[in-house]
Amino acid sequence: MKRISLRYLLLTSRYDQIWFPLAFWALFIILNFVRGQQYVLDNTRSYLGAVIPLVGGIMSAYAVLEDPAIELRFATPIRTLQTLLERLLPVLVIQMLCAVTYQLVALAYGADFSTYYPNWIDVQLAWLIPTVSLSALGCFISLAAAHSTTGALLTGMIWLVQLVARSWFAGGRVGQYFLVFMSPLMVEHPALRANQSALTSLSLVLIFASWMLLRRQERYI
Amino acid sequence: MITITSLAKTYHTNGRTVHALNGIDLEIKPGMFGLLGPNGAGKTTLMRILAGIANASSGSAVVDGHDLSTDAGKRAVKSMLGYLPQELGMYLELSARQFVDYMAILKGLDDPRQRAQQVDRVLDLVGLTQDAERKIKNYSGGMKRRVGIAQALVNDPSLLIVDEPTAGLDPEERIRFRNLLVNLSAKRTVILSTHIVEDIGQTCQDLAVLAQGQVIFRGSPVELTKAAAGHVWTLTCSGLEKPDHDLTVLSMLHLAEGTQYRLVGPSAADYPAAKEVQPGLEDGYVWLMKNSGHRVELLS
Repeated sequence: MKRISLRYLLLTSRYDQIWFPLAFWALFIILNFVRGQQYVLDNTRSYLGAVIPLVGGIMSAYAVLEDPAIELRFATPIRTLQTLLERLLPVLVIQMLCAVTYQLVALAYGADFSTYYPNWIDVQLAWLIPTVSLSALGCFISLAAAHSTTGALLTGMIWLVQLVARSWFAGGRVGQYFLVFMSPLMVEHPALRANQSALTSLSLVLIFASWMLLRRQERYI
Repeated sequence: MITITSLAKTYHTNGRTVHALNGIDLEIKPGMFGLLGPNGAGKTTLMRILAGIANASSGSAVVDGHDLSTDAGKRAVKSMLGYLPQELGMYLELSARQFVDYMAILKGLDDPRQRAQQVDRVLDLVGLTQDAERKIKNYSGGMKRRVGIAQALVNDPSLLIVDEPTAGLDPEERIRFRNLLVNLSAKRTVILSTHIVEDIGQTCQDLAVLAQGQVIFRGSPVELTKAAAGHVWTLTCSGLEKPDHDLTVLSMLHLAEGTQYRLVGPSAADYPAAKEVQPGLEDGYVWLMKNSGHRVELLS
């Protein structure tokens, strides 16, 4: 893939792609200090497992279509997949930076992740799997509806329904594979690895479908 | 050379089927080509198909041997394309130099030195060298249009498509823009789409008139003008009454002895005082639209 300029990738990103995640990051850092050390782990699980995926989903819903120069971009020989990845990857990188720095702050404040998560990889999967899933979902819905806000709203609704009814999903024969909160909140669930595999596969399918949708450029101008 | 054969485009929107293009046949040679027509005639749809952004429902469009119905054809055309859309969206926080540079990268100008030279050249061409470092958000409408044409030219395209480029420009900017387009057409194909007749008259030797998705005229501005010969009059009326009888009022001039109307229509026999005058391109356009049964919307 040619013609990627990191400089212009940053310069053409919308400011809310940065300040929106940063605002939540700062809020949860402050919460740690306000609520005290005994709640740091709970805060961390909430932030990593619920807030980062939601923010990633919403940001991804707005990432592709809210490009003021989208018609000019479509008139260049850039491949559609590159356009899609150029807009989605910065969202994921920002969520990753938020997740990693938050963990460092939490560790510095005395959080012991081993209380919940068996190993370091599971800590990272706790935010990565739901974030990638909701990001792919947000992007797909916004492209399917050709409307970013619809993508963000539906992603938020799915997030809310899954969060509230997570026990029902976790106990369901099919639902257990598609519960985005299993990695952060139910690490001892017997279907955890199957859930992670299913969500990863679903994310890939949604990104592929988004790519196919974006190829029909005229829908978005 | 652009060859368009039986090109049709149908949209399905809100349960309605809209035939934006109805079997267009056109052959466009290098130089300046004008596409004239009222709003909603299908000009933008045709421009987007030629730019490889929209797909035709049926028919074909071939640009320099590249078929726009294939992905490879679209990419090949986009590599040789300069495109200025009707609604020009830009990154307002970038400077003109940054924006044009970024578009150059997207168009495949990978060598930084060559790219910098090209960016300097096109900014100079559109007269923006002095303001190149200012953010686009601080530019006037005319300056933004000039940034638009600079980005369209940065890859030295052999096909330049400009859709309603003079909309919203002041008269001075419009003249400057038209002259620039004429200069550019010396060594490339320039397709100028507009509903402003004057823009075509000042720039093109070859044009097509589009109405309701169909080509209703193909020829030169002179031929379009001649078509209205014997159908244009001036009439001075002292009262408030406006001439009617299937005559379209093209313009009004308020004089001391009354209001002078410029009229286009099949006959002015009902107005013995009407004087036949030489038609202009706008008269030819209005007569064509009237004569082909399309509604002519003019301010009264």
